[in-house]
Amino acid sequence: MNKILLVIQREYLTRVRKPSFWILTLVVPLLLAGIYAIPIILATRPIEHAGVMVVDQSGIFSGQFRSHRNITYYEGGSLEYARRQLRQNDSVDAIVYIPARETTLPQQAYLYYQSDAPSVAVQSDVNVQLQEILRNCILLDVHGITPEDYALLTSTHIRLRTQDIETGRDGFLQVKSVVGIVLAFLVFMAVFLFGSQVMRGVMEEKSSRIVEVVVCSVKPFQLMMGKVVGVGLIGLTQFALWVALSGVAMGGLRLANSGLFEQAQSKPVSQISTKGAEATAQFQAARIQAEQYEAGLGVDNSVRELVEGMANINFGLLLGVFLFYFIFGYFLYASLFAAVGSMVDNETDSQQFTVPLTLPLLLSLLLLPALLNAPSSSLSQWLSIIPFTSPVVMLFRIPFGVPIWQIVLSMALLLATFPLCTWAAAKVYRRSILRYGQKTTWRQVIEHVVK
Amino acid sequence: MLQISHITKNFGSYCALNDVSLQVRRGSVFGLLGPNGAGKTTLIRIINHIIAPDSGTLLFDGHPMTDADVATIGYLPEERGLYKKMRVGEQAIYLARLKGLDKAEAERRLHQWFDRLEISSWWNRRVEELSKGMQQKVQFVVTVLHQPQLLIFDEPFSGFDPVNADLLKREILRLKSLGATIIFSTHNMSSAQELCDDIALIDQSRVVLSGSLSHIRSQHPGLDLDRIFINTVTRHE
Repeated sequence: MNKILLVIQREYLTRVRKPSFWILTLVVPLLLAGIYAIPIILATRPIEHAGVMVVDQSGIFSGQFRSHRNITYYEGGSLEYARRQLRQNDSVDAIVYIPARETTLPQQAYLYYQSDAPSVAVQSDVNVQLQEILRNCILLDVHGITPEDYALLTSTHIRLRTQDIETGRDGFLQVKSVVGIVLAFLVFMAVFLFGSQVMRGVMEEKSSRIVEVVVCSVKPFQLMMGKVVGVGLIGLTQFALWVALSGVAMGGLRLANSGLFEQAQSKPVSQISTKGAEATAQFQAARIQAEQYEAGLGVDNSVRELVEGMANINFGLLLGVFLFYFIFGYFLYASLFAAVGSMVDNETDSQQFTVPLTLPLLLSLLLLPALLNAPSSSLSQWLSIIPFTSPVVMLFRIPFGVPIWQIVLSMALLLATFPLCTWAAAKVYRRSILRYGQKTTWRQVIEHVVK
Repeated sequence: MLQISHITKNFGSYCALNDVSLQVRRGSVFGLLGPNGAGKTTLIRIINHIIAPDSGTLLFDGHPMTDADVATIGYLPEERGLYKKMRVGEQAIYLARLKGLDKAEAERRLHQWFDRLEISSWWNRRVEELSKGMQQKVQFVVTVLHQPQLLIFDEPFSGFDPVNADLLKREILRLKSLGATIIFSTHNMSSAQELCDDIALIDQSRVVLSGSLSHIRSQHPGLDLDRIFINTVTRHE
């Protein structure tokens, strides 16, 4: 068996057997599933029922508060009576008090409670209804706007489509930016995460003094490449498992909680207080309709945008390009990380080398928001062609459509740079791996490479 | 077995080896003696092709030494260690396979050695759980497992406790009786005196004394090796 294969095998097996590998593999899909599930669980969790007594001295609000499933509003009469109820009656948890008007419109209202402050849900419901009742009152009494007019006003929606004038195809810029940023970030993470694993592996071999035994059996270059390839395979395994497990987790969640999803999607039925004035009730009914219409339209539009946008992206190309930059971006940096590992005795010393090393990647990640405004600007084009930044920037640009010659040029340059980097890294590695207790300087690094 | 001719090695402005020539006879135990920093480890690394000399030649069985020849050497470096997180048996098999043994053969020989040294119970333990002395035994077994014709031990007795050092001496003599050629470096004269057929004394990058032990002792009657060593080194200075 080829020796480099033995090294790859060892690197892979020792890592895949580590508990930390499996913890990381499981944590990411669980985290994703959690982000997905928690808002749904929270939204469908039964809220405790609350009773609120309304004491209105302004003459605008009495009888206007709508009770619903979780909050019942009672008419309180005098503040004194309400206060007594709050003390004695278990079903009253708070009092809304609107003092008599001094100006045309009331300026302040109070939510009184005893010992236990009302929940955020109660506070926000009271607040929303206060504003709404006041607004309805002004609309009808002052401006004479009818509920029908209001419904019309609030139900307008015009969809803005960004299109190529030649092809008439939609641009779907938002969807594409999200896809681009996610891809760029994934590659950045992969290079950083697995590159530093290579570095730590080399440092481990150096500090445990195993390396001199091993380099008598295999060439330093074989040892270094074996480690780079072994860790790279670990990276691919981990990503594949993440994708598969996330899919399973999401699917399982959807299946197990299909009831939950329906609940979350259907809106609570509003119970309109019969005591309320006719006009207001009409207003509210119209408003609810308008809200639902608007919400429905909004959801429809964004979902349609998403689905159509996704369909518009060439996923075959995307996957191919992603794998290419994932693998060769990693190779480009991993051997450099290995060289850094060979030069230092501990992780603290490694930073003087790793910081400049990762600067191009970090810089391109930080530039993404700026590039977002102009995905095909000349800066963006240059960065996606220069090998040290291309893995991140090219993947960011791919969803927006990149001329084929630029992709080919960028890939060719990356392919040409990677053996060069590996060659230089191997030279440094070979000369540094058996040096102990001496700090390597940048000057020595250059000497190692040039000599 | 090994003919070292006019080897010179500089590290920048520092001269580690200056025109070193030595001859190691087949089946002999060769002691490479000298104070710390004399250049012993550099010479051993050159023999193992870990570093290349600036000038000079190495002949192995009469032909220039190749990487394939190096692969047959059993080498126990001065800076020695094992993967701390790996299990003993698995790691020994890995290192043996790197030396070219197949898996089944490596396992068979390892079990023989482990039984002989009564360390079979360590097979599934992690290296980090072993004491330093225990790790040294494992390292020794790994070094000799592929039955090398040429064995090189760099400062084998440094860091070994007396029990293991004694075990190592007996094993060196046993391997010699089986026909192996052994080079070891040390600054411990008494063990050199016990084991060596030939010695070379290196001081400040040069060979200052070499030849068979009996010949050297007859030239310095009444002196033990320690005294000869000190006299030669001081005179040289």
